[in-house]
Amino acid sequence: MRSEEQDKLSAFQRLENDVLAAMRRPGPRYLAAVGLCALLVLMLFALWGGLVWRGMGLSGKNNPVGWAMLITNFVFWVGIAHSGTLISAVLFLFRARFRTSFNRSAEAMTIFALMVAGLFPLIHLGRVWVFYYLLPYPSERLIWPNFRSPLVWDVFAVTTYMIVSLVFFYVGMIPDLAIARRRLPGLRGKIYGLLSLGWEGTLRQWRHYGRLYLFLAAFATPLVASVHSIVSWDFAVSIVPGWHTTIFAPYFVAGAIFSGTAMVLILTIPMRRLLRLEPYITVDHFEAIAKILLFTSLIITYTYIVEHGLAFYGDNPFEHDQYLYRMLGDYRLLFAIMIVCNSLLPLTLFVRRLRRSLTWLFVLGILVNVGMWLERFVIIVTSLAHDYDPYAWGTYNFSLVEFGITVGSFGLFFLLFLLFARLLPVLAVTEIKEHS
Amino acid sequence: MARFVCESREEFLDRLRALVDAGTDPENIRVRMPFYVPEALQVLGEGPDRLRFFALFGGIAGFGSGLALTIYSVLSWPIIVGGKPIVSLPPFLLIGYLLTILFGALGAFAGFLLLARLPSGRSLAADAEFPERFVIAVETGEGA
Repeated sequence: MRSEEQDKLSAFQRLENDVLAAMRRPGPRYLAAVGLCALLVLMLFALWGGLVWRGMGLSGKNNPVGWAMLITNFVFWVGIAHSGTLISAVLFLFRARFRTSFNRSAEAMTIFALMVAGLFPLIHLGRVWVFYYLLPYPSERLIWPNFRSPLVWDVFAVTTYMIVSLVFFYVGMIPDLAIARRRLPGLRGKIYGLLSLGWEGTLRQWRHYGRLYLFLAAFATPLVASVHSIVSWDFAVSIVPGWHTTIFAPYFVAGAIFSGTAMVLILTIPMRRLLRLEPYITVDHFEAIAKILLFTSLIITYTYIVEHGLAFYGDNPFEHDQYLYRMLGDYRLLFAIMIVCNSLLPLTLFVRRLRRSLTWLFVLGILVNVGMWLERFVIIVTSLAHDYDPYAWGTYNFSLVEFGITVGSFGLFFLLFLLFARLLPVLAVTEIKEHS
Repeated sequence: MARFVCESREEFLDRLRALVDAGTDPENIRVRMPFYVPEALQVLGEGPDRLRFFALFGGIAGFGSGLALTIYSVLSWPIIVGGKPIVSLPPFLLIGYLLTILFGALGAFAGFLLLARLPSGRSLAADAEFPERFVIAVETGEGA
Protein backbone atom coordinates (compact mmCIF):
# COMPACT_ATOMS: atom_id res chain seq x y z
CA MET A 1 0.00 0.00 0.00
CA ARG A 2 2.75 2.38 1.04
CA SER A 3 4.80 1.58 -2.03
CA GLU A 4 1.71 2.15 -4.21
CA GLU A 5 1.40 5.64 -2.76
CA GLN A 6 5.09 6.25 -3.29
CA ASP A 7 4.75 5.10 -6.91
CA LYS A 8 1.88 7.50 -7.48
CA LEU A 9 3.77 10.37 -5.90
CA SER A 10 6.83 9.74 -7.98
CA ALA A 11 4.59 9.48 -11.07
CA PHE A 12 3.22 12.92 -10.19
CA GLN A 13 6.73 14.27 -9.79
CA ARG A 14 7.72 12.77 -13.11
CA LEU A 15 4.68 14.39 -14.72
CA GLU A 16 5.66 17.80 -13.32
CA ASN A 17 9.28 17.24 -14.39
CA ASP A 18 8.30 16.27 -17.92
CA VAL A 19 5.92 19.18 -18.42
CA LEU A 20 8.34 21.71 -16.95
CA ALA A 21 11.26 20.23 -18.90
CA ALA A 22 9.33 21.12 -22.03
CA MET A 23 9.43 24.72 -20.80
CA ARG A 24 13.18 24.71 -20.28
CA ARG A 25 15.13 23.48 -23.25
CA PRO A 26 14.69 25.15 -26.62
CA GLY A 27 16.59 22.96 -29.07
CA PRO A 28 17.84 23.98 -32.52
CA ARG A 29 14.83 22.44 -34.30
CA TYR A 30 12.48 24.48 -32.16
CA LEU A 31 14.41 27.69 -32.79
CA ALA A 32 14.48 26.97 -36.52
CA ALA A 33 10.70 26.46 -36.53
CA VAL A 34 10.22 29.72 -34.60
CA GLY A 35 12.49 31.54 -37.07
CA LEU A 36 10.62 30.18 -40.09
CA CYS A 37 7.22 31.09 -38.64
CA ALA A 38 8.49 34.56 -37.68
CA LEU A 39 9.54 35.10 -41.31
CA LEU A 40 6.09 34.10 -42.50
CA VAL A 41 4.55 36.52 -40.01
CA LEU A 42 6.79 39.29 -41.34
CA MET A 43 5.60 38.44 -44.83
CA LEU A 44 1.96 38.59 -43.67
CA PHE A 45 2.34 42.07 -42.21
CA ALA A 46 4.44 43.33 -45.11
CA LEU A 47 1.81 42.19 -47.61
CA TRP A 48 -1.00 43.63 -45.50
CA GLY A 49 0.94 46.89 -45.38
CA GLY A 50 1.13 46.73 -49.18
CA LEU A 51 -2.63 46.27 -49.41
CA VAL A 52 -3.21 49.27 -47.14
CA TRP A 53 -0.66 51.39 -49.00
CA ARG A 54 -1.50 50.48 -52.60
CA GLY A 55 -5.17 49.54 -52.19
CA MET A 56 -7.34 46.46 -52.56
CA GLY A 57 -6.54 46.25 -56.26
CA LEU A 58 -3.58 44.12 -55.18
CA SER A 59 -6.03 41.39 -54.22
CA GLY A 60 -7.81 39.26 -56.79
CA LYS A 61 -11.25 40.36 -55.60
CA ASN A 62 -13.49 41.67 -58.31
CA ASN A 63 -17.07 42.29 -59.20
CA PRO A 64 -19.02 39.97 -58.66
CA VAL A 65 -16.64 38.02 -56.38
CA GLY A 66 -16.15 40.62 -53.65
CA TRP A 67 -15.74 38.08 -50.84
CA ALA A 68 -12.98 35.66 -51.63
CA MET A 69 -9.77 34.28 -50.15
CA LEU A 70 -9.57 36.67 -47.18
CA ILE A 71 -13.11 35.86 -46.02
CA THR A 72 -12.42 32.17 -46.69
CA ASN A 73 -9.54 32.47 -44.25
CA PHE A 74 -11.74 34.19 -41.67
CA VAL A 75 -14.32 31.39 -41.79
CA PHE A 76 -11.60 28.73 -41.79
CA TRP A 77 -9.78 30.09 -38.74
CA VAL A 78 -12.96 30.68 -36.72
CA GLY A 79 -13.83 27.08 -37.53
CA ILE A 80 -10.46 25.83 -36.32
CA ALA A 81 -11.15 27.49 -32.98
CA HIS A 82 -14.26 25.44 -32.34
CA SER A 83 -12.75 22.11 -31.64
CA GLY A 84 -10.76 23.60 -28.78
CA THR A 85 -13.94 24.54 -26.98
CA LEU A 86 -15.51 21.20 -27.80
CA ILE A 87 -12.60 19.34 -26.24
CA SER A 88 -12.19 21.62 -23.24
CA ALA A 89 -15.78 22.49 -22.35
CA VAL A 90 -18.16 19.98 -23.91
CA LEU A 91 -16.04 16.92 -23.12
CA PHE A 92 -15.59 18.28 -19.58
CA LEU A 93 -19.36 18.34 -19.10
CA PHE A 94 -19.56 14.81 -20.52
CA ARG A 95 -16.76 13.73 -18.14
CA ALA A 96 -14.62 12.35 -20.98
CA ARG A 97 -11.33 11.76 -19.23
CA PHE A 98 -9.14 11.59 -22.31
CA ARG A 99 -9.67 15.33 -22.73
CA THR A 100 -7.00 16.07 -20.11
CA SER A 101 -4.32 15.06 -22.61
CA PHE A 102 -5.49 17.58 -25.16
CA ASN A 103 -7.49 20.30 -23.47
CA ARG A 104 -4.65 22.76 -22.79
CA SER A 105 -3.31 22.59 -26.36
CA ALA A 106 -6.85 22.70 -27.75
CA GLU A 107 -7.74 25.79 -25.69
CA ALA A 108 -4.53 27.50 -26.80
CA MET A 109 -5.40 26.56 -30.37
CA THR A 110 -8.83 28.17 -29.95
CA ILE A 111 -7.34 31.47 -28.82
CA PHE A 112 -4.62 31.60 -31.45
CA ALA A 113 -7.04 30.63 -34.23
CA LEU A 114 -9.40 33.40 -33.12
CA MET A 115 -6.55 35.91 -33.05
CA VAL A 116 -5.63 34.97 -36.61
CA ALA A 117 -9.29 34.91 -37.71
CA GLY A 118 -9.83 38.38 -36.27
CA LEU A 119 -7.19 39.80 -38.61
CA PHE A 120 -9.02 38.83 -41.78
CA PRO A 121 -12.11 41.06 -41.59
CA LEU A 122 -9.65 43.90 -40.90
CA ILE A 123 -7.47 42.99 -43.88
CA HIS A 124 -10.55 42.53 -46.06
CA LEU A 125 -11.83 45.93 -44.96
CA GLY A 126 -9.04 47.68 -46.84
CA ARG A 127 -9.32 50.91 -44.91
CA VAL A 128 -8.50 49.22 -41.63
CA TRP A 129 -8.41 52.48 -39.68
CA VAL A 130 -12.21 52.72 -39.81
CA PHE A 131 -12.79 49.29 -38.27
CA TYR A 132 -14.29 50.92 -35.20
CA TYR A 133 -17.42 51.75 -37.20
CA LEU A 134 -18.51 48.20 -36.33
CA LEU A 135 -18.30 48.81 -32.60
CA PRO A 136 -21.24 50.22 -30.67
CA TYR A 137 -20.01 53.49 -29.24
CA PRO A 138 -21.89 56.76 -28.72
CA SER A 139 -20.57 58.81 -31.63
CA GLU A 140 -21.20 62.52 -32.03
CA ARG A 141 -22.92 61.72 -35.33
CA LEU A 142 -25.50 59.58 -33.46
CA ILE A 143 -24.73 56.65 -35.73
CA TRP A 144 -24.97 53.18 -34.21
CA PRO A 145 -24.18 49.85 -35.86
CA ASN A 146 -27.10 48.16 -37.59
CA PHE A 147 -27.91 45.39 -35.14
CA ARG A 148 -30.06 43.68 -37.75
CA SER A 149 -26.95 42.91 -39.79
CA PRO A 150 -25.23 39.51 -39.40
CA LEU A 151 -21.88 41.27 -39.73
CA VAL A 152 -22.52 43.05 -36.44
CA TRP A 153 -23.69 39.79 -34.84
CA ASP A 154 -20.37 38.38 -35.97
CA VAL A 155 -18.43 41.11 -34.17
CA PHE A 156 -20.29 40.34 -30.95
CA ALA A 157 -20.06 36.56 -31.40
CA VAL A 158 -16.34 36.42 -32.15
CA THR A 159 -15.45 38.96 -29.45
CA THR A 160 -17.52 37.07 -26.86
CA TYR A 161 -15.97 33.81 -27.94
CA MET A 162 -12.47 35.23 -27.69
CA ILE A 163 -12.96 36.68 -24.20
CA VAL A 164 -14.74 33.62 -22.77
CA SER A 165 -12.12 31.28 -24.29
CA LEU A 166 -9.33 33.41 -22.87
CA VAL A 167 -10.86 33.34 -19.37
CA PHE A 168 -11.41 29.57 -19.62
CA PHE A 169 -7.84 29.01 -20.79
CA TYR A 170 -6.37 31.17 -18.04
CA VAL A 171 -8.51 29.78 -15.23
CA GLY A 172 -7.65 26.21 -16.23
CA MET A 173 -4.00 27.10 -16.03
CA ILE A 174 -3.87 28.85 -12.63
CA PRO A 175 -2.89 25.77 -10.52
CA ASP A 176 -0.36 24.70 -13.15
CA LEU A 177 1.20 28.16 -13.12
CA ALA A 178 1.56 27.76 -9.36
CA ILE A 179 3.44 24.50 -9.98
CA ALA A 180 5.71 26.35 -12.40
CA ARG A 181 6.25 28.95 -9.68
CA ARG A 182 7.30 26.22 -7.24
CA ARG A 183 9.53 24.39 -9.68
CA LEU A 184 11.23 27.13 -11.70
CA PRO A 185 13.94 29.25 -10.14
CA GLY A 186 14.58 32.98 -10.25
CA LEU A 187 12.67 35.59 -12.19
CA ARG A 188 10.71 33.04 -14.23
CA GLY A 189 9.36 31.50 -11.04
CA LYS A 190 8.35 34.95 -9.79
CA ILE A 191 6.56 35.76 -13.04
CA TYR A 192 4.65 32.47 -12.90
CA GLY A 193 3.86 33.26 -9.26
CA LEU A 194 2.28 36.56 -10.27
CA LEU A 195 0.37 34.87 -13.08
CA SER A 196 -0.90 32.22 -10.65
CA LEU A 197 -2.25 35.05 -8.46
CA GLY A 198 -0.59 33.51 -5.40
CA TRP A 199 -2.50 30.22 -5.70
CA GLU A 200 -1.90 27.93 -2.70
CA GLY A 201 -4.46 25.18 -3.26
CA THR A 202 -6.50 25.83 -0.13
CA LEU A 203 -9.92 24.25 0.26
CA ARG A 204 -11.60 27.60 -0.30
CA GLN A 205 -9.67 28.18 -3.52
CA TRP A 206 -10.30 24.70 -4.90
CA ARG A 207 -14.00 24.79 -4.01
CA HIS A 208 -14.66 28.01 -5.90
CA TYR A 209 -12.28 26.95 -8.65
CA GLY A 210 -14.24 23.74 -9.23
CA ARG A 211 -17.52 25.67 -9.43
CA LEU A 212 -16.03 28.33 -11.69
CA TYR A 213 -14.64 25.75 -14.09
CA LEU A 214 -18.06 24.13 -14.33
CA PHE A 215 -19.77 27.49 -14.95
CA LEU A 216 -17.26 28.48 -17.59
CA ALA A 217 -17.68 25.11 -19.33
CA ALA A 218 -21.44 25.62 -19.25
CA PHE A 219 -21.12 29.15 -20.66
CA ALA A 220 -18.65 28.09 -23.36
CA THR A 221 -20.63 25.06 -24.52
CA PRO A 222 -23.46 26.97 -26.28
CA LEU A 223 -20.80 29.08 -27.97
CA VAL A 224 -19.58 25.95 -29.80
CA ALA A 225 -22.92 25.85 -31.56
CA SER A 226 -23.72 29.53 -31.79
CA VAL A 227 -20.53 31.23 -32.99
CA HIS A 228 -20.15 29.34 -36.23
CA SER A 229 -23.93 29.44 -36.70
CA ILE A 230 -23.65 33.22 -36.64
CA VAL A 231 -20.71 33.10 -39.04
CA SER A 232 -22.85 30.96 -41.36
CA TRP A 233 -25.63 33.56 -41.21
CA ASP A 234 -23.24 36.08 -42.79
CA PHE A 235 -24.08 34.02 -45.86
CA ALA A 236 -27.44 32.39 -45.17
CA VAL A 237 -29.25 35.65 -44.35
CA SER A 238 -28.50 36.92 -47.86
CA ILE A 239 -30.53 35.81 -50.89
CA VAL A 240 -27.58 34.53 -52.93
CA PRO A 241 -28.24 31.04 -54.38
CA GLY A 242 -26.15 28.44 -52.61
CA TRP A 243 -25.97 30.58 -49.47
CA HIS A 244 -29.62 31.13 -48.63
CA THR A 245 -30.35 27.83 -46.93
CA THR A 246 -31.46 26.82 -43.44
CA ILE A 247 -28.96 23.99 -43.17
CA PHE A 248 -26.04 26.40 -43.06
CA ALA A 249 -25.81 26.78 -39.28
CA PRO A 250 -25.46 23.07 -38.34
CA TYR A 251 -23.44 22.51 -41.50
CA PHE A 252 -20.89 25.17 -40.51
CA VAL A 253 -20.75 24.01 -36.89
CA ALA A 254 -20.05 20.41 -37.89
CA GLY A 255 -17.43 21.60 -40.37
CA ALA A 256 -15.83 23.76 -37.71
CA ILE A 257 -15.50 20.90 -35.26
CA PHE A 258 -14.27 18.62 -38.04
CA SER A 259 -11.48 20.97 -39.15
CA GLY A 260 -10.58 21.92 -35.56
CA THR A 261 -10.24 18.28 -34.57
CA ALA A 262 -7.94 17.73 -37.53
CA MET A 263 -5.87 20.73 -36.40
CA VAL A 264 -5.60 19.24 -32.89
CA LEU A 265 -4.01 16.18 -34.51
CA ILE A 266 -1.64 18.31 -36.59
CA LEU A 267 -0.49 20.19 -33.48
CA THR A 268 -0.36 17.48 -30.85
CA ILE A 269 1.23 14.62 -32.80
CA PRO A 270 4.55 16.47 -33.36
CA MET A 271 4.29 18.24 -29.98
CA ARG A 272 3.97 14.90 -28.18
CA ARG A 273 7.09 13.63 -29.86
CA LEU A 274 9.22 16.76 -29.59
CA LEU A 275 8.35 17.39 -25.93
CA ARG A 276 8.49 13.66 -25.10
CA LEU A 277 4.96 13.53 -23.76
CA GLU A 278 4.26 9.96 -24.93
CA PRO A 279 3.35 8.69 -21.43
CA TYR A 280 0.62 11.30 -21.07
CA ILE A 281 -0.81 11.54 -24.59
CA THR A 282 -1.29 7.92 -25.52
CA VAL A 283 -2.34 6.24 -28.75
CA ASP A 284 -5.69 5.46 -27.08
CA HIS A 285 -6.23 9.19 -26.65
CA PHE A 286 -5.49 9.79 -30.31
CA GLU A 287 -7.89 7.03 -31.23
CA ALA A 288 -10.64 8.84 -29.30
CA ILE A 289 -9.89 12.03 -31.23
CA ALA A 290 -9.91 10.03 -34.48
CA LYS A 291 -13.41 8.82 -33.64
CA ILE A 292 -14.58 12.43 -33.25
CA LEU A 293 -12.99 13.17 -36.63
CA LEU A 294 -14.76 10.23 -38.25
CA PHE A 295 -18.10 11.12 -36.68
CA THR A 296 -17.95 14.76 -37.77
CA SER A 297 -16.84 13.68 -41.25
CA LEU A 298 -19.99 11.58 -41.54
CA ILE A 299 -22.09 14.59 -40.48
CA ILE A 300 -20.32 16.72 -43.08
CA THR A 301 -20.98 14.15 -45.81
CA TYR A 302 -24.61 14.03 -44.76
CA THR A 303 -24.91 17.82 -45.00
CA TYR A 304 -23.29 17.81 -48.46
CA ILE A 305 -25.96 15.35 -49.56
CA VAL A 306 -28.74 17.34 -47.90
CA GLU A 307 -27.74 20.71 -49.35
CA HIS A 308 -27.51 19.28 -52.85
CA GLY A 309 -30.69 17.29 -52.24
CA LEU A 310 -32.55 20.41 -51.12
CA ALA A 311 -31.47 22.26 -54.24
CA PHE A 312 -32.59 19.50 -56.60
CA TYR A 313 -35.75 18.58 -54.70
CA GLY A 314 -36.85 22.22 -54.54
CA ASP A 315 -38.18 24.01 -57.56
CA ASN A 316 -35.76 26.91 -57.73
CA PRO A 317 -33.87 27.02 -61.04
CA PHE A 318 -31.21 29.35 -59.61
CA GLU A 319 -30.45 26.86 -56.83
CA HIS A 320 -30.36 24.00 -59.35
CA ASP A 321 -27.97 25.91 -61.50
CA GLN A 322 -25.77 26.99 -58.61
CA TYR A 323 -25.26 23.45 -57.33
CA LEU A 324 -24.57 22.12 -60.82
CA TYR A 325 -22.05 24.91 -61.25
CA ARG A 326 -20.43 24.02 -57.94
CA MET A 327 -19.93 20.40 -58.99
CA LEU A 328 -19.22 20.83 -62.68
CA GLY A 329 -18.29 24.48 -63.23
CA ASP A 330 -15.05 26.44 -63.13
CA TYR A 331 -14.17 25.24 -59.62
CA ARG A 332 -15.00 21.54 -60.11
CA LEU A 333 -11.47 20.41 -59.33
CA LEU A 334 -11.55 22.15 -55.95
CA PHE A 335 -14.99 20.65 -55.29
CA ALA A 336 -13.68 17.16 -56.10
CA ILE A 337 -10.65 17.57 -53.81
CA MET A 338 -12.99 18.77 -51.08
CA ILE A 339 -15.16 15.65 -51.37
CA VAL A 340 -12.13 13.35 -51.36
CA CYS A 341 -10.52 15.02 -48.34
CA ASN A 342 -13.64 15.59 -46.25
CA SER A 343 -15.90 12.67 -47.09
CA LEU A 344 -13.87 9.79 -48.52
CA LEU A 345 -10.44 9.75 -46.84
CA PRO A 346 -11.82 9.99 -43.27
CA LEU A 347 -13.74 6.75 -43.93
CA THR A 348 -10.37 5.01 -43.55
CA LEU A 349 -10.78 5.67 -39.82
CA PHE A 350 -13.27 2.83 -39.69
CA VAL A 351 -10.14 0.65 -39.76
CA ARG A 352 -8.79 0.40 -36.23
CA ARG A 353 -5.17 0.08 -37.35
CA LEU A 354 -5.38 3.39 -39.20
CA ARG A 355 -7.13 5.09 -36.27
CA ARG A 356 -4.10 4.13 -34.20
CA SER A 357 -1.48 5.08 -36.76
CA LEU A 358 -0.15 8.50 -35.77
CA THR A 359 1.52 8.99 -39.14
CA TRP A 360 -1.77 8.47 -40.95
CA LEU A 361 -3.66 10.66 -38.46
CA PHE A 362 -1.14 13.47 -39.00
CA VAL A 363 -1.37 13.19 -42.80
CA LEU A 364 -5.16 12.93 -42.63
CA GLY A 365 -5.30 16.00 -40.38
CA ILE A 366 -3.48 18.01 -43.03
CA LEU A 367 -5.67 16.66 -45.84
CA VAL A 368 -8.87 17.36 -43.91
CA ASN A 369 -7.77 20.93 -43.33
CA VAL A 370 -6.98 21.31 -47.02
CA GLY A 371 -10.46 19.96 -47.75
CA MET A 372 -12.16 22.22 -45.22
CA TRP A 373 -10.34 25.31 -46.45
CA LEU A 374 -11.45 24.44 -49.98
CA GLU A 375 -15.01 23.86 -48.76
CA ARG A 376 -15.22 27.44 -47.49
CA PHE A 377 -13.59 28.73 -50.66
CA VAL A 378 -16.01 26.79 -52.87
CA ILE A 379 -19.06 27.94 -50.90
CA ILE A 380 -18.03 31.59 -50.93
CA VAL A 381 -16.63 31.98 -54.42
CA THR A 382 -18.94 29.80 -56.53
CA SER A 383 -22.10 31.42 -55.20
CA LEU A 384 -20.85 34.93 -55.93
CA ALA A 385 -19.34 33.96 -59.27
CA HIS A 386 -22.57 32.50 -60.58
CA ASP A 387 -25.71 34.00 -59.04
CA TYR A 388 -28.91 35.20 -60.75
CA ASP A 389 -27.94 37.33 -63.71
CA PRO A 390 -25.70 35.71 -66.37
CA TYR A 391 -24.49 39.18 -67.39
CA ALA A 392 -23.10 39.61 -63.87
CA TRP A 393 -21.29 36.26 -63.75
CA GLY A 394 -17.54 36.19 -63.39
CA THR A 395 -14.72 34.13 -61.96
CA TYR A 396 -12.15 34.77 -59.30
CA ASN A 397 -8.50 33.95 -59.17
CA PHE A 398 -6.47 34.76 -56.10
CA SER A 399 -3.50 37.12 -56.30
CA LEU A 400 -0.05 36.33 -54.92
CA VAL A 401 -0.65 38.93 -52.21
CA GLU A 402 -3.70 37.07 -50.95
CA PHE A 403 -1.85 33.77 -51.18
CA GLY A 404 1.08 35.20 -49.23
CA ILE A 405 -1.24 36.57 -46.54
CA THR A 406 -2.88 33.15 -46.26
CA VAL A 407 0.47 31.39 -45.86
CA GLY A 408 1.52 34.10 -43.40
CA SER A 409 -1.58 33.45 -41.30
CA PHE A 410 -0.48 29.84 -40.86
CA GLY A 411 2.94 31.16 -39.85
CA LEU A 412 1.34 33.40 -37.22
CA PHE A 413 -0.80 30.57 -35.86
CA PHE A 414 2.10 28.13 -35.59
CA LEU A 415 4.40 30.81 -34.14
CA LEU A 416 1.90 31.52 -31.36
CA PHE A 417 1.54 27.81 -30.69
CA LEU A 418 5.30 27.27 -30.59
CA LEU A 419 5.68 30.11 -28.08
CA PHE A 420 2.87 28.64 -26.00
CA ALA A 421 4.56 25.21 -25.97
CA ARG A 422 7.72 26.75 -24.57
CA LEU A 423 6.30 29.31 -22.15
CA LEU A 424 3.23 27.70 -20.59
CA PRO A 425 2.43 24.20 -19.25
CA VAL A 426 1.20 22.24 -22.28
CA LEU A 427 -0.61 19.65 -20.19
CA ALA A 428 -3.25 20.20 -17.52
CA VAL A 429 -1.01 18.79 -14.76
CA THR A 430 -3.42 19.08 -11.84
CA GLU A 431 -6.29 17.64 -13.87
CA ILE A 432 -4.20 14.65 -14.92
CA LYS A 433 -3.26 14.11 -11.27
CA GLU A 434 -6.91 14.39 -10.25
CA HIS A 435 -8.00 11.72 -12.72
CA SER A 436 -5.11 9.32 -12.20
CA MET B 1 -0.75 23.83 15.65
CA ALA B 2 -0.60 20.22 14.45
CA ARG B 3 0.50 19.60 10.88
CA PHE B 4 0.12 16.46 8.80
CA VAL B 5 1.52 15.75 5.37
CA CYS B 6 -0.20 13.03 3.33
CA GLU B 7 1.15 11.34 0.24
CA SER B 8 -2.10 10.26 -1.37
CA ARG B 9 -5.73 11.25 -1.75
CA GLU B 10 -6.87 8.22 0.27
CA GLU B 11 -4.49 8.87 3.14
CA PHE B 12 -5.51 12.54 3.14
CA LEU B 13 -9.22 11.74 3.28
CA ASP B 14 -8.72 9.08 5.98
CA ARG B 15 -6.77 11.55 8.09
CA LEU B 16 -9.41 14.24 7.62
CA ARG B 17 -12.24 11.88 8.57
CA ALA B 18 -10.31 10.71 11.61
CA LEU B 19 -9.79 14.29 12.75
CA VAL B 20 -13.45 15.18 12.34
CA ASP B 21 -14.57 11.93 14.01
CA ALA B 22 -12.25 12.70 16.91
CA GLY B 23 -14.20 15.89 17.48
CA THR B 24 -11.98 18.48 15.79
CA ASP B 25 -14.03 21.41 14.64
CA PRO B 26 -13.82 21.54 10.79
CA GLU B 27 -13.47 25.31 11.17
CA ASN B 28 -10.07 24.73 12.74
CA ILE B 29 -8.81 22.47 9.97
CA ARG B 30 -6.85 24.11 7.16
CA VAL B 31 -5.93 22.02 4.15
CA ARG B 32 -3.85 22.58 1.04
CA MET B 33 -4.28 20.16 -1.83
CA PRO B 34 -2.06 19.56 -4.89
CA PHE B 35 -5.19 18.80 -6.91
CA TYR B 36 -8.92 19.03 -6.42
CA VAL B 37 -10.47 16.41 -4.13
CA PRO B 38 -14.20 17.15 -3.96
CA GLU B 39 -14.71 14.58 -1.18
CA ALA B 40 -12.77 16.86 1.18
CA LEU B 41 -15.63 19.31 0.93
CA GLN B 42 -18.08 16.67 2.12
CA VAL B 43 -15.88 15.84 5.10
CA LEU B 44 -15.30 19.44 6.15
CA GLY B 45 -18.72 20.81 5.15
CA GLU B 46 -19.45 22.52 1.87
CA GLY B 47 -20.55 25.97 2.96
CA PRO B 48 -22.85 28.10 0.84
CA ASP B 49 -22.17 28.29 -2.90
CA ARG B 50 -22.29 31.99 -3.62
CA LEU B 51 -20.43 31.85 -6.93
CA ARG B 52 -23.61 30.91 -8.80
CA PHE B 53 -25.15 34.25 -7.90
CA PHE B 54 -22.28 36.08 -9.60
CA ALA B 55 -22.83 33.98 -12.72
CA LEU B 56 -26.58 34.49 -12.54
CA PHE B 57 -26.45 38.25 -12.03
CA GLY B 58 -23.75 38.58 -14.70
CA GLY B 59 -25.95 36.69 -17.13
CA ILE B 60 -29.04 38.75 -16.32
CA ALA B 61 -27.06 41.99 -16.58
CA GLY B 62 -25.65 40.85 -19.94
CA PHE B 63 -29.05 40.00 -21.36
CA GLY B 64 -30.54 43.26 -20.10
CA SER B 65 -27.70 45.38 -21.41
CA GLY B 66 -27.81 43.60 -24.78
CA LEU B 67 -31.48 44.42 -25.22
CA ALA B 68 -31.06 47.92 -23.78
CA LEU B 69 -28.17 48.73 -26.11
CA THR B 70 -29.92 47.54 -29.26
CA ILE B 71 -33.34 49.04 -28.48
CA TYR B 72 -31.91 52.34 -27.25
CA SER B 73 -29.69 52.69 -30.31
CA VAL B 74 -32.48 52.11 -32.84
CA LEU B 75 -34.90 54.36 -30.99
CA SER B 76 -32.34 57.15 -30.72
CA TRP B 77 -31.97 57.24 -34.53
CA PRO B 78 -34.91 55.35 -36.01
CA ILE B 79 -34.06 54.39 -39.60
CA ILE B 80 -36.00 51.61 -41.29
CA VAL B 81 -33.50 49.16 -42.79
CA GLY B 82 -34.63 46.48 -45.24
CA GLY B 83 -38.28 46.98 -44.31
CA LYS B 84 -37.72 45.51 -40.85
CA PRO B 85 -39.45 46.92 -37.74
CA ILE B 86 -37.48 49.56 -35.85
CA VAL B 87 -37.34 47.30 -32.81
CA SER B 88 -36.51 43.96 -34.45
CA LEU B 89 -36.51 41.58 -31.54
CA PRO B 90 -35.11 38.38 -33.15
CA PRO B 91 -31.71 39.87 -34.03
CA PHE B 92 -31.65 41.90 -30.83
CA LEU B 93 -32.20 38.73 -28.81
CA LEU B 94 -29.06 37.37 -30.42
CA ILE B 95 -27.02 40.27 -29.03
CA GLY B 96 -28.73 39.73 -25.66
CA TYR B 97 -27.83 36.03 -25.76
CA LEU B 98 -24.17 36.71 -26.55
CA LEU B 99 -23.86 39.32 -23.82
CA THR B 100 -25.56 36.92 -21.36
CA ILE B 101 -22.72 34.48 -21.94
CA LEU B 102 -20.02 37.17 -21.89
CA PHE B 103 -21.17 38.93 -18.73
CA GLY B 104 -22.11 35.64 -17.05
CA ALA B 105 -18.60 34.26 -17.62
CA LEU B 106 -16.92 37.50 -16.55
CA GLY B 107 -19.23 37.77 -13.52
CA ALA B 108 -18.37 34.21 -12.47
CA PHE B 109 -14.66 34.95 -12.89
CA ALA B 110 -14.91 38.14 -10.84
CA GLY B 111 -16.89 36.25 -8.19
CA PHE B 112 -14.21 33.56 -8.08
CA LEU B 113 -11.47 36.13 -7.49
CA LEU B 114 -13.51 37.71 -4.73
CA LEU B 115 -14.58 34.50 -2.98
CA ALA B 116 -11.24 32.69 -3.35
CA ARG B 117 -9.47 35.90 -2.21
CA LEU B 118 -7.23 36.07 -5.23
CA PRO B 119 -4.84 37.58 -6.09
CA SER B 120 -3.37 36.80 -2.72
CA GLY B 121 -0.78 39.43 -1.80
CA ARG B 122 0.03 37.55 1.39
CA SER B 123 0.88 34.38 -0.51
CA LEU B 124 2.96 36.25 -3.05
CA ALA B 125 4.83 38.24 -0.43
CA ALA B 126 5.43 35.27 1.87
CA ASP B 127 6.44 33.02 -1.02
CA ALA B 128 3.82 30.49 0.11
CA GLU B 129 3.97 27.47 -2.13
CA PHE B 130 1.35 25.40 -3.84
CA PRO B 131 2.26 22.07 -2.21
CA GLU B 132 3.29 18.86 -3.90
CA ARG B 133 1.58 16.79 -1.20
CA PHE B 134 -1.62 17.13 0.83
CA VAL B 135 -1.11 19.30 3.89
CA ILE B 136 -3.47 19.39 6.87
CA ALA B 137 -2.99 21.99 9.59
CA VAL B 138 -5.10 21.86 12.75
CA GLU B 139 -5.33 24.99 14.83
CA THR B 140 -5.30 23.80 18.41
CA GLY B 141 -6.16 27.10 20.04
CA GLU B 142 -3.10 27.60 22.28
CA GLY B 143 -0.65 28.60 19.64
CA ALA B 144 -3.10 29.80 17.08
